[in-house]
Amino acid sequence: MGIKTDLANLIGAEKVSDDAKTLALYAKDKSFAKPMTPECVVRVSSGEDVEKLVKWANETKTPLVPVSSGAPHFRGDTVPSVPQAVIVDLSGMKKILNINKQQRIAVIEPGVTYGELSKALAKHGMMISTSLAPKATKSVVGSVLECEPRLNCNHQWAYTEPLRCTEVTWGDGNRMYTGEAGLAPMDLEAQWKEQKWQVEPVGPMMLDYYRLLTQAEGTMGIVSWASVRCELAYQAHKMFLVPAAKEEDLLDFVYRVVHFRFGEELFILNNAQLASLVGETAEEIAALKAELPQWVACVSVGGRDLLPQDRAEQQEADISDIAQQCGLKLQNAVTGVSAAKVLEKATNPCGKTYWKDTFKGSFQDIFFLTTLDKTAEFVAKMEKLAIEAGYTVNDIGVYVQPVHMGSAYHCEFTIPYNPENAKETAKVKALFEKASAEFSAMGAFYARPYGPWARLQLNKDAMGTQTLKTLKGIFDPNNIMNPGKVTI
Amino acid sequence: MALKDFRPMMERCSNCLGCKWIPFDKIQSQRFGENCPINLYYEFHIYSARGKFQAAQGLLDGEYGYTDALLASTQACTACGACDIACKVCRYNLEPLDFNIALKADAVEKGNILPVQKEMIASLKKEQTMIIGAKKANRSAWAKGLKLKDAMKEGAEVIFFPGCKYSYDKKLQGYARTAAELLINAGVDLGYMGEADMCCASRAYQQGLMADFDARSEANIKAFKKAGVKTIVTPCSDCYYAFKRLYAAKGLEVEVLHVVEYIDKLISEKKLKLKKPVNMTVTYHDPCHLGRLGEPYVAWNGTEKKIMNQVHTWEPRRPRYNGAYGIYDAPRRVLAAIPGLTLVEMERIREYALCCGAGAACEQTYPEVSKFTANERVTEANSTGAEALVTACPWCESNFASAVDENGKKIEVIDIIDLVSRAL
Amino acid sequence: MALSPEVYKAFEDVVGARNISQDPAVLECYRCYAAQSSAHYGPFDHKTPMPGAVIMPGSTEEVQGIIRLCNKYKIPFKAATTFWAAMGYIGDENAIQLDMRRMKKIEINERDQYAVVEPYAIGAVVQVEAMKRGFNLNMAGVGCSSSTLAGTAGWVAFGPSSLFMGTASENMLAAEWVLPNGEILHTGSLGAGSGWFCGEGPGPSTRAILRGKQGTTGAFGVCTRVAVRLHPWPGPAVIPTYGTIPAYRAKLPETIKTVTVCYPSWDAYAEGANLLHQSDIVYLGHRQFNMFGRDIKTAMIKILNDPDLQLCDLPEIMADPYIKEQNEKMKIEVSLVIVGMTQRDFDYKMKALDEIIRRVGAWKSEFMLEKPIHDWTLLYLLRLGHKNLNYTLCGSYEGNFGMSPNVFVTAPLMESAAKLKDDYAKKYPYIADTGGDSDMGSLAILGGGGVTGWEFFTCFDRFDKASIKGACDMVNISQKWMDDHKLGVDMGHWNANARREDGFNYTQEQHNEMLSKLPQPWVCGYQYLVKKAFNPYDLGGSYYRTCDPASFAKK
Repeated sequence: MGIKTDLANLIGAEKVSDDAKTLALYAKDKSFAKPMTPECVVRVSSGEDVEKLVKWANETKTPLVPVSSGAPHFRGDTVPSVPQAVIVDLSGMKKILNINKQQRIAVIEPGVTYGELSKALAKHGMMISTSLAPKATKSVVGSVLECEPRLNCNHQWAYTEPLRCTEVTWGDGNRMYTGEAGLAPMDLEAQWKEQKWQVEPVGPMMLDYYRLLTQAEGTMGIVSWASVRCELAYQAHKMFLVPAAKEEDLLDFVYRVVHFRFGEELFILNNAQLASLVGETAEEIAALKAELPQWVACVSVGGRDLLPQDRAEQQEADISDIAQQCGLKLQNAVTGVSAAKVLEKATNPCGKTYWKDTFKGSFQDIFFLTTLDKTAEFVAKMEKLAIEAGYTVNDIGVYVQPVHMGSAYHCEFTIPYNPENAKETAKVKALFEKASAEFSAMGAFYARPYGPWARLQLNKDAMGTQTLKTLKGIFDPNNIMNPGKVTI
Repeated sequence: MALKDFRPMMERCSNCLGCKWIPFDKIQSQRFGENCPINLYYEFHIYSARGKFQAAQGLLDGEYGYTDALLASTQACTACGACDIACKVCRYNLEPLDFNIALKADAVEKGNILPVQKEMIASLKKEQTMIIGAKKANRSAWAKGLKLKDAMKEGAEVIFFPGCKYSYDKKLQGYARTAAELLINAGVDLGYMGEADMCCASRAYQQGLMADFDARSEANIKAFKKAGVKTIVTPCSDCYYAFKRLYAAKGLEVEVLHVVEYIDKLISEKKLKLKKPVNMTVTYHDPCHLGRLGEPYVAWNGTEKKIMNQVHTWEPRRPRYNGAYGIYDAPRRVLAAIPGLTLVEMERIREYALCCGAGAACEQTYPEVSKFTANERVTEANSTGAEALVTACPWCESNFASAVDENGKKIEVIDIIDLVSRAL
Repeated sequence: MALSPEVYKAFEDVVGARNISQDPAVLECYRCYAAQSSAHYGPFDHKTPMPGAVIMPGSTEEVQGIIRLCNKYKIPFKAATTFWAAMGYIGDENAIQLDMRRMKKIEINERDQYAVVEPYAIGAVVQVEAMKRGFNLNMAGVGCSSSTLAGTAGWVAFGPSSLFMGTASENMLAAEWVLPNGEILHTGSLGAGSGWFCGEGPGPSTRAILRGKQGTTGAFGVCTRVAVRLHPWPGPAVIPTYGTIPAYRAKLPETIKTVTVCYPSWDAYAEGANLLHQSDIVYLGHRQFNMFGRDIKTAMIKILNDPDLQLCDLPEIMADPYIKEQNEKMKIEVSLVIVGMTQRDFDYKMKALDEIIRRVGAWKSEFMLEKPIHDWTLLYLLRLGHKNLNYTLCGSYEGNFGMSPNVFVTAPLMESAAKLKDDYAKKYPYIADTGGDSDMGSLAILGGGGVTGWEFFTCFDRFDKASIKGACDMVNISQKWMDDHKLGVDMGHWNANARREDGFNYTQEQHNEMLSKLPQPWVCGYQYLVKKAFNPYDLGGSYYRTCDPASFAKK
């Protein structure tokens, strides 16, 4: 029997596709990852499906590549690295299994997008923190498993927040719950009946299972539901923009605001990134870029259930004082852009076209973790490398995001390009590779080691890499889970 | 109490390890947070009050005898009581210091006496001092020329009791004279014990040499009674502790004052005025036996009584020596009365001051531990930026004299009496 | 069992003669017995085994040297530092105990808000050094006398400030860890030499195997350094104190205040806790003094605030009508510390607190607002320097019940649990009879709330065999009650599957037998595989719970 027949028998014929058109959708993405056509695509609809599939894959030594978000994809992590892979498409698993306001927890399947979850939460007076203007098709589970940075680092007590418990099928085919859910029977309904709401992510005993799933690019197992920590909805919410000529001018301000845990969303954008975020067309972006201040710190204040206006006012006044001490000013708008628009754009899923695509049709990101004081060095290096590569420096977007209450900073460069222009594409690819390597040498920490970053990062620490390999051998002994990723 | 009587305390100690630190509420830095000289030096758990509470159980159970480490932990302990007060921030039913002394006594009883201790005992018996090499005949050299009554011949209500160190140390003799003169000049009808002036034997007690302590203290009490002594004034913190606490427990009913208390009294009564500026910055070391161990004795003879099923209390109420009422403010008031003088405090002060390292004759029994401790304290003193370290105990003074901080730097050590005399 | 001279010499060569001992009296001090916190496998009357030697390494390299020798000679080992609870002690006869006391460095990175600590940096000293730079740390509930590293890397270690500052697992950044096979693992950003700022990745986090929820409690190698996230402290560099021992008090600005909120009912308590969790206004929240027992908590506070009072004064103080009244008003309470980063921030937080109080019909305890008591409580809660008070009443205690972390599950059951304990204490004289409800615990045990900590204190006398037995009975009775209410394992038995009643480790077969019955046995099954991979000679002991998958695959 062929793979398709096997899978049709196992999961259901209607869930399996191997037509060329479908396969082509998964054979490449918008990154520079080498295209590879999968063998077929299975659209699973439950944890049981996943378990059956992984067990079968172990028997047949078939590589599996899990995908939760809809297209487009940008990081290469969902493009098979090896032939004859089966795509496990979880994007159809769209159930919001539970929302618990008392515990501020939602249990969702991997296909649920930010837009869908936000809409459901709003009915309960709740919300979910997001990454910066996620794409419309972005899976919340995928986003939190990949530790995409959140805009409000103050509510990230853990680096992995808002991810809590999961149901996972490991690479060896065993399905279990992680976190506190792992200590009770594998039955969500039964757990809810006993008022267990999948709140605590760690453990449940000596091993932090969920940490093996984060930043893993699907190499350890497949998550079929996850609980995520939500917040009460804002009753008052307002953003301010703090412009500066140099990034360095904003650092003390950010340090202090983060230190005192003031504000809600907080991040730094350069003019190119801010223009891309708010501009609706390439022309508008170009025009905005010319007008906008070189750097802008975006900081919001908000109040939820308890005296929201008082809270927002207090935060505004305190942050304003900090700005003043740093020779800066909170503004409701900078030339051409209102803070309200930035807030709306940043905290909501973007439209059909991903906002980074608007300017030139495609882009390549380079991002890593570092400390805030070092970000300026990376910016300077990026500028130097762009000039050397003959790329327009002013087109490069920069996004700096405090994570985990400011212990670390996500530093992201966005290099837009026209994918139709082979020369420009090649130039950007070369720049991407060069900059990635140079940043690595400067101490950039590729915590999420997509594509070539895995080699750059894992080569630096033989013991860490060996440990990871050993763990992979335990949870995915036949190396069927997205082989070729996060490895050297 | 014999060692075996401490069994309930041994078993009820819960290993919180508070005994290794000054009271946690008072810690200001990691560098100066610890309090136990032997634990700082040896580091193993047994070198702490808690460690000994546990090790002594094995000893009582016959699992082992006095092993090298148990003996070192017992003998090197300076009996400074820092563990005792740290423990009592929370506990109401443990007496670490009394236990440490009982363990020392038990070790001695089992024949564990160091050669140097034997010499001290011999000296105490022969020359009535534990300072090896000192002669009884020279004991009163400090008093030469002073108009002091010989209490044993003339009777005296107030006597000046210099203690061995002030009596024999050539440098310190002068301070003893100064102190006595201050009192005389203030109109005190002052006497001293003359031929009957002997060692208080506090250091015998601190080493668990109970027979020697008993013999000496009982003789002294007899002499005080015979002389009609009502007040003892001493510049020595060890003697102060002996009379105030140990002799009181043996029935001595006299007022005991340290010289600093008397000077403080004279200043407050305006009988002594310090006029001459002493322009320096100093720090003050609280001697253990004047500070946390300087609380007045309260007689008690009772037993444990549990209330509310299992809550431990004592019947009748047991005195609780936790350093609350030690002598801390009098010396600081005296220093404050000296014009031009600035006091900067160390981090470990008052009831949680670090020992100088000389307690329980440690400078003779375990000189390396003693020196280490003195150096540690001088490091702390130098960290304040003070030019001098002032103290009110001759043993501390002597131990600090040769000490250096962690950078090899010394500090001037000044007797508080000397400092007062500079301001006269 | 003593080490052979050859093996002893090998260890001695690593650390030097001064830092190793097999003197039996020294070894005796590294045994745990019922007077100490067993945390939590029941107040059993036993001692843990005598170690073969005690070794004090002074560096990571020395730790590695020791562990390599342990692997070479197949000698089990366990590292501990402040030895608060039974989990720090070895569980084999021929094992060696590592006392980490010599490693105590603290390095603070102000900009990135963390401290890199070695094992013997206890909470108190990490806090004082952090405060000098405008920071504080989540002081684990165990108190400031315990090792910050041990809590962060090795145990659950939530605390009163976890609502604001997060819990140990959340605050753990990069770590340096000597694995049980002797290899040194650097987690997160440290592995790549980028610094200590991140403990995760690259890719799936290897730190996953190092602590989990319960911590590996020294059973999975030795953590030698860990970066701990710090949190803002807007107060003075050193907390100024005043007052006479033991009633030390803090003299802090008006923007740092403690308020004890009292509730009319457990329902109101639950609602109040939920609002506090959601509010972002609480710096620290703890139900603290109730640990002495509901009937005596106010009287105990009086005693602890007066150097002249003692436990024998309890009956008289309790009879005081004012104390009676205040105690009654403070029956269901939680003590909060509100810290304003600015005056404005403080004003908002107090206003918000008043609003919560209004919504749930609560009130502030006047007694706890009396200036001397306020200042004492504030110091107590900020430093947690009074952990020995856990033992004050009887010399020993065991935590029990430990109900659901969901406040809405637990709160309605509190009176029933309290009655169960009260009935036992009234019927038998073995445990302290101080009012049934002796629950204490943190307002939240996870950053941002959602889960709460509960622990009843059952105080007993380790010197009295009947009392030990009584405490065991109480834990078993409360376990039955927990079973009846489907609340899982009683806290007094949390670690009952980690160490046998005789103080020794479980064998693999024993663990297989008990852990294969877990609802999801793979939880321990993978731990078995991880142990096999990184600890091939099983040198860590049975606090690392493992279950051979073959044992449940058969069933």
